[in-house]
Amino acid sequence: MSLLEIKDLSIEFPAGENTVKAVSHVSFEIREGETFGIIGESGSGKSVIGLALLRLLPANAKVSGTVFFQGQDLLSLKPSELRKIRGKKISLMPQNPAGALNPVLKNGLQMEDVFEGNRAEKKEGMKKALKLMKQLFLRNPEKLCTLYPHQLSGGMRQRLTACISLSFEPEILIADEPTKGLDPEAKAGAVDIFNKIKTEYEKTMLLITHDLDLALEVCDQIAVMYAGEIVELDLASKVLSTPLHPYTKGLIRAQPRNGLVPLSGQSPSRIKLPEGCFFHERCRYSGFECSRKHPEIKNYKGGLIRCHFLSLK
Amino acid sequence: MDNAFADRLRKKSFLLPEAYGNEFAKRVFQRKDILFALAVLLFFIGLALFAPLISPYDPNAIDLKNKNLNPSEEHLLGTDYLGRDLLSRVLIGARTSLSIASGVVLISLFLGTAAGCAAGYYGGIVDESVSRVIDIFLSFPGVIFALTIMGVLGSGVFNLMLALSIVHWAKFARMMRGQVLSIKKQEFVLSAITGGAGDFYIIRKHIVPNAIATLLVLATIDFGHVILSISTLSFLGIGLPADVPEWGAMLSAGKEFMRTAPCQTIFPGLAITLVVVIFSILGDGMRDILDPNHEGGEIY
Amino acid sequence: MPLPVLEVNGLAMRFRTSEVFKNVSFSVTRGETLGLFGKSGSGKTTIGRCIVGLEKPTGGEILVQGVDILKMEKKEFRKLRPKIQMIFQHPETSLDPRMKAFENLIEPLKLHSGLKRDALMKRGEELAELTGLRPEHLARYPGHLSGGEIQRIVLARIMALSPDFIVADEPTSMLDVSVQAQILRLMQKLQRETGVSYLLISHDLEVLKKVCHRIAYLENGTITSIENINRGIKI
Repeated sequence: MSLLEIKDLSIEFPAGENTVKAVSHVSFEIREGETFGIIGESGSGKSVIGLALLRLLPANAKVSGTVFFQGQDLLSLKPSELRKIRGKKISLMPQNPAGALNPVLKNGLQMEDVFEGNRAEKKEGMKKALKLMKQLFLRNPEKLCTLYPHQLSGGMRQRLTACISLSFEPEILIADEPTKGLDPEAKAGAVDIFNKIKTEYEKTMLLITHDLDLALEVCDQIAVMYAGEIVELDLASKVLSTPLHPYTKGLIRAQPRNGLVPLSGQSPSRIKLPEGCFFHERCRYSGFECSRKHPEIKNYKGGLIRCHFLSLK
Repeated sequence: MDNAFADRLRKKSFLLPEAYGNEFAKRVFQRKDILFALAVLLFFIGLALFAPLISPYDPNAIDLKNKNLNPSEEHLLGTDYLGRDLLSRVLIGARTSLSIASGVVLISLFLGTAAGCAAGYYGGIVDESVSRVIDIFLSFPGVIFALTIMGVLGSGVFNLMLALSIVHWAKFARMMRGQVLSIKKQEFVLSAITGGAGDFYIIRKHIVPNAIATLLVLATIDFGHVILSISTLSFLGIGLPADVPEWGAMLSAGKEFMRTAPCQTIFPGLAITLVVVIFSILGDGMRDILDPNHEGGEIY
Repeated sequence: MPLPVLEVNGLAMRFRTSEVFKNVSFSVTRGETLGLFGKSGSGKTTIGRCIVGLEKPTGGEILVQGVDILKMEKKEFRKLRPKIQMIFQHPETSLDPRMKAFENLIEPLKLHSGLKRDALMKRGEELAELTGLRPEHLARYPGHLSGGEIQRIVLARIMALSPDFIVADEPTSMLDVSVQAQILRLMQKLQRETGVSYLLISHDLEVLKKVCHRIAYLENGTITSIENINRGIKI
């Protein structure tokens, strides 16, 4: 059964006289207990989707489509109802753990802040949180609570933010670029954290990242985004081991391990998108039809793909 | 070389920041409060500039037969305790206040920028000595400090400007120093250094342009404060010579006739309030406009 | 054997009582890329900053064409400075936010070349073309450019000085995988065309193994080994 169902989500931002099409006609669903990954370059619109789910976009954003979560459309909820969901049922793990923690508050106080209610309730919450911290590889959590955020290493800070975002036992955890700028050791740590969250807590997660290794290790399903739309969607192992879309192939070949072959050219302007397939200018398989007709997303071998080349076969 | 590329480059002047100027203007026009404040300020400046032409009477002409009058057709704002026309005096007073305040703010801005740059950029012993001087100047309460200086220098327009500048520059210097400290660590400054740029070039091209926005906000808000200080000093009777019409001095002289002829306190008081409020609106607006990350949208 | 472009001997740095690194020695020849691998906080950025003269080490020597830059007069060092350049990790602060991309690009030319306006523009255009920039990028302010575009401008402005040696401090750690490949390939292309040498500082061993000729490992504050990478893509 699907926990979150996104249908035809489009997001635009006005920029002077023009509009920037950040996300166009994105649809996907996340089943309970599943980890769904969105991968793509920065600027592909993947982070905007995460923010839109929690309605954290600037007021000038034009959002259309529906986001159903447990039978409610998140995009049409009243602010008071939204508050019951934000942080409690859908929780966002911030991109930059260093900036997400208040530098003048001790870590313990920082965690306590999350829990509402009287002292007893707070204590109860903290007890749970401490248990959670132990499980997420934080040794000696009691001592950690008496320290300030700057006294922790990057990896520890990230675990702490993970604990804070999990402490309400949300239904869905959204993680936005959790490994950006981390060194390989901390990246490996992050993979462990997410696997643990997934296997032991059976949490549903939406992982937004450009780190293909993380996506492969953690995700069940992956959507590849390019220029604001999904170009490929399938099981993680299938997408990353036998990619079908030329863009996904390019992403994989660009990894150092796979040859460091750069994709030619740059992402198109989002104010004036190219005719036909958005990727055709950079695509090595580009044919006659690609520059004329915008491809629809189609079923192909159990997954979804947006490419003329495959439908011709 | 691709010809179209070269043509486009030459057509657009890449060396002029015209887009930034446009952006600035656009943001100003989006803000009704700033436009309103600017309009009122321009009106005031216009009045001040043309005060000698438009004021109906000589502001210092004493007419004891017509003293303490209420507004009438002959004297639009009434007259004071010596029968001088209030409208003329308020208009000429605007001249005094605005010109002294601009002088003080410009001098403080210049001194503060120079001292703050030196302290922040060079650090070490320069920073230590400049910062201590700043601390000393900031530790005196402003009005009392200005009073003392005026006591030594004597009254007069130039002395008043000097005294208030001495009081106000330290605020600018301190803020500039903080700005410079954070900017000089940024990587574009480091790459200018490794590119072989000299200290003066870096300060002029990179540090001041990036720091000045914050200082301009402070200057705008401070403009109102300076006008208030001028009035305070004149109210206490040591700012300016008695024959120079000034709002604070008018307030002070009129306070004895508050009950019988309130116009001579109301109108100068209103003028002071209006100018101070305008500058705080402008300062607030500048803060929003000059912030390069300003998006103008709230979270919905 | 030609003189190395850069030779570092017994470099040491201490802050008060704690030692950041000591006895760091390596040399780089013309057209070579030396990788410097270390964990975060190992002091690898500080080594890079010492080489370009942004920080003063507490011991050791840095020889550029046989002359120790640490013992140089200020005036002499300023003349040498354009030859040793640095690329920084964070693209978002690498360019002056109040100057357009093109102004940022031609700044070193204005300082050093003494070219007149037209010649300056022309040279700027050539550099922009060399680094794969499009005209529309040049008219923008840095805040409206992506990380990859900014690193291209940074490379262009550095190449304006025709340097012998570039310290690249994690130039791609904040970039996406696909853009990372583009920038690293661009750096290799520039090396082939000009013979510039790189010190590539990174915590990503996979990247280093792919683009470096040799890799120096910085562990516990000193260089423990220097490895020859045969698979390094030949120039």
